[in-house]
Amino acid sequence: MTIAITSGKARIWWAQIKAVIRLEMRKTFFAKRGLWIYLVAALPVFLFIAFAVATSGRQHQRASVARRGEKILTYQDLLAVKPGMTSEEVIAILGKPPVNFHWAENRPLGPGVTANVLRENYHYSDGQNDLFVGLLDGKVDSVNIDNGNNLGQDSIMFAGVFQFFFLRLAIFFGCLGIFMNLFRGEILDRSLHFYFLAPVRREVLMVGKFLAGLLATCTIFVASELLQTAAFLWHFSPSAREVYLYHNHGLEHAAVYVGVTILACVGYGAFFLVAGMLFRNPILPAAAILIWEAINPFLPGILKQFSVIYYLKSLCPVEIPSPPGTPPLLALLISNTDPVSAPVAVVGIVIVALIALYASSLQVRRMEINYTTE
Amino acid sequence: MSVPVNSPGNSAANDRIVFEDVSKFYGEILGVNRVNLSIPPGITSLVGPNGSGKTTLMNLMTGLVRPTRGRVEVLGYKADDPEHLFAILGYSTQFDAFPKGLTGYQFLYSYLRLSGRDAQTAEQMAWRTIERVNLVDAAKRNIAGYSKGMRQRIRLAQALAHDPKVLVLDEPLNGLDPLARSEMIALFRAAAAQGCYVIISSHILHEVDVISDQVILLSNGYVVAEGQIATVRGEIQEHPTQILIRCTRPRELAAKMLEDAHTIEVTIHKDEKGVLLKTRDADGFYLALNQLALNGNGNGIDIESIAPADDDVLSVYEYLIGNEEVVR
Repeated sequence: MTIAITSGKARIWWAQIKAVIRLEMRKTFFAKRGLWIYLVAALPVFLFIAFAVATSGRQHQRASVARRGEKILTYQDLLAVKPGMTSEEVIAILGKPPVNFHWAENRPLGPGVTANVLRENYHYSDGQNDLFVGLLDGKVDSVNIDNGNNLGQDSIMFAGVFQFFFLRLAIFFGCLGIFMNLFRGEILDRSLHFYFLAPVRREVLMVGKFLAGLLATCTIFVASELLQTAAFLWHFSPSAREVYLYHNHGLEHAAVYVGVTILACVGYGAFFLVAGMLFRNPILPAAAILIWEAINPFLPGILKQFSVIYYLKSLCPVEIPSPPGTPPLLALLISNTDPVSAPVAVVGIVIVALIALYASSLQVRRMEINYTTE
Repeated sequence: MSVPVNSPGNSAANDRIVFEDVSKFYGEILGVNRVNLSIPPGITSLVGPNGSGKTTLMNLMTGLVRPTRGRVEVLGYKADDPEHLFAILGYSTQFDAFPKGLTGYQFLYSYLRLSGRDAQTAEQMAWRTIERVNLVDAAKRNIAGYSKGMRQRIRLAQALAHDPKVLVLDEPLNGLDPLARSEMIALFRAAAAQGCYVIISSHILHEVDVISDQVILLSNGYVVAEGQIATVRGEIQEHPTQILIRCTRPRELAAKMLEDAHTIEVTIHKDEKGVLLKTRDADGFYLALNQLALNGNGNGIDIESIAPADDDVLSVYEYLIGNEEVVR
């Protein structure tokens, strides 16, 4: 009998949660005041599209240079050119340069003494990579190889954009915009009483609103994440894409990024839901949480655990190396000195979110409709 | 209406809306103070000037605000238990805001789905309620484009949609045209006749007088009086009861009545077809009047009617609160 009542209640609660989700989704999606969230989510997509367009342009240029060359070159051929070689030796290996230009330079040799020297630049390409050879008076002075399609480098760039823009800013502020408004926005609109007049447990209402926010943010940011991946891979050849996706963990990384995006929405969403109930002005809690997340690497171990980014960083599939010469403080921000295992990270975020949701449930029970004081 | 199995709402002892020593302060501002009420079925009007605590009392009853002190129960349900409370209670608030982008029909449908009803039932109940408040033509229009009267009606519809046992209506007739007012009053009366609890706040006293079974008079956050209007009037000792007697030869009647010890003041009516008497002992006065009526023909006085002249809400309100901020 008890079980029957409990399951009956659970069925009603689930029906009520679905009703809340339907209503909230109607308000959240395509709402004018939420348009900036779409823009923020779309920014990295635009970035990768722009990068792909620029890279494709250079790719066409490389192909054109390669076609105009005397020989069909390989990457090994490009690597064969070394400083100190003569122009004849270079031409013997790579053929006549398809693109070259030269000029005379007046160089000081001593006090009041100058000499004209010949400067030359040769540009070769194997169709994928560029070789720029600088010659001074017929001898190779500098060799510069520009790797066109370097998936390794590009995946680090992708990881950088994901960690430092998408996670810390786009999802952070997107969740702020959506989750803080779930209750606060309706208090400002003076329409929250609509929910409070229905025979719904306040906790059920809170869960419904949280899930609606989660559905909205996950839809927006997972879609953005998938579009970013598509834009990121767009300019690679189908074979390079296949190698990256199926043999170099590309597909696995894409799935992990989607998972991290969802967990970020869960973590930040729960934080901002409770913040929206506790604070009238969203700027203060947003700034506090942003600073808290930013100083996470400098916090003692126990405090680190009460942060979303602490767990998310550990889940990111690509480690971002600190460039040589990076200041120690910045290097600490970039690197993940104290990573946790994936299961611990997932459970950690879920626990942090549950703690925030529990605080929300206590707060929502105490909430009163008193619009005049808001 | 749905009342949960084994709920306190089924107990015969829980057939009242109870306020027990309830106070509500908004910071340092008094909402209501030391309210003790036990409201029976029927139409109960909350009457008082602006800021007297009518809306606070309704919000306390419905759990939208929590008492600083004391206990509120509606038919045995605690006010902070919305899941059960709003299964038996509908509240039409004065808040003139709605969830954005909804039509009148969607507003009601969503409310009923929130109550856990399935799509088909919610649709049927929504349309039935829309018909009850006469909003069929506007049901598919966005609420943002509704007139004030239409918004009032859709709020009433929200309160009525799930056939609640308790109706709490904050200024429900505001913005309605005369025809709609009379339709709504008929609707409230029908609900009360079926045993519902209809709690209405109003500052339009003649409407309160017409529709109320009992009144609760509020002033500055305190309950000044409660009960049936005539009973409340009877308890106001400092103001003598006024009785209007329609009769022939009013001057003779006035002279006779002044001889009676219960009469303290007699005024001849302006139309010279009756007298207005004041007495502090209405029962004694009526006995004396009966005696006079029996002998009336001997004096040539024909009494046509006897009616209390000040046992309406307006008079009670004026005696207890004054005549501020009310519409007669």
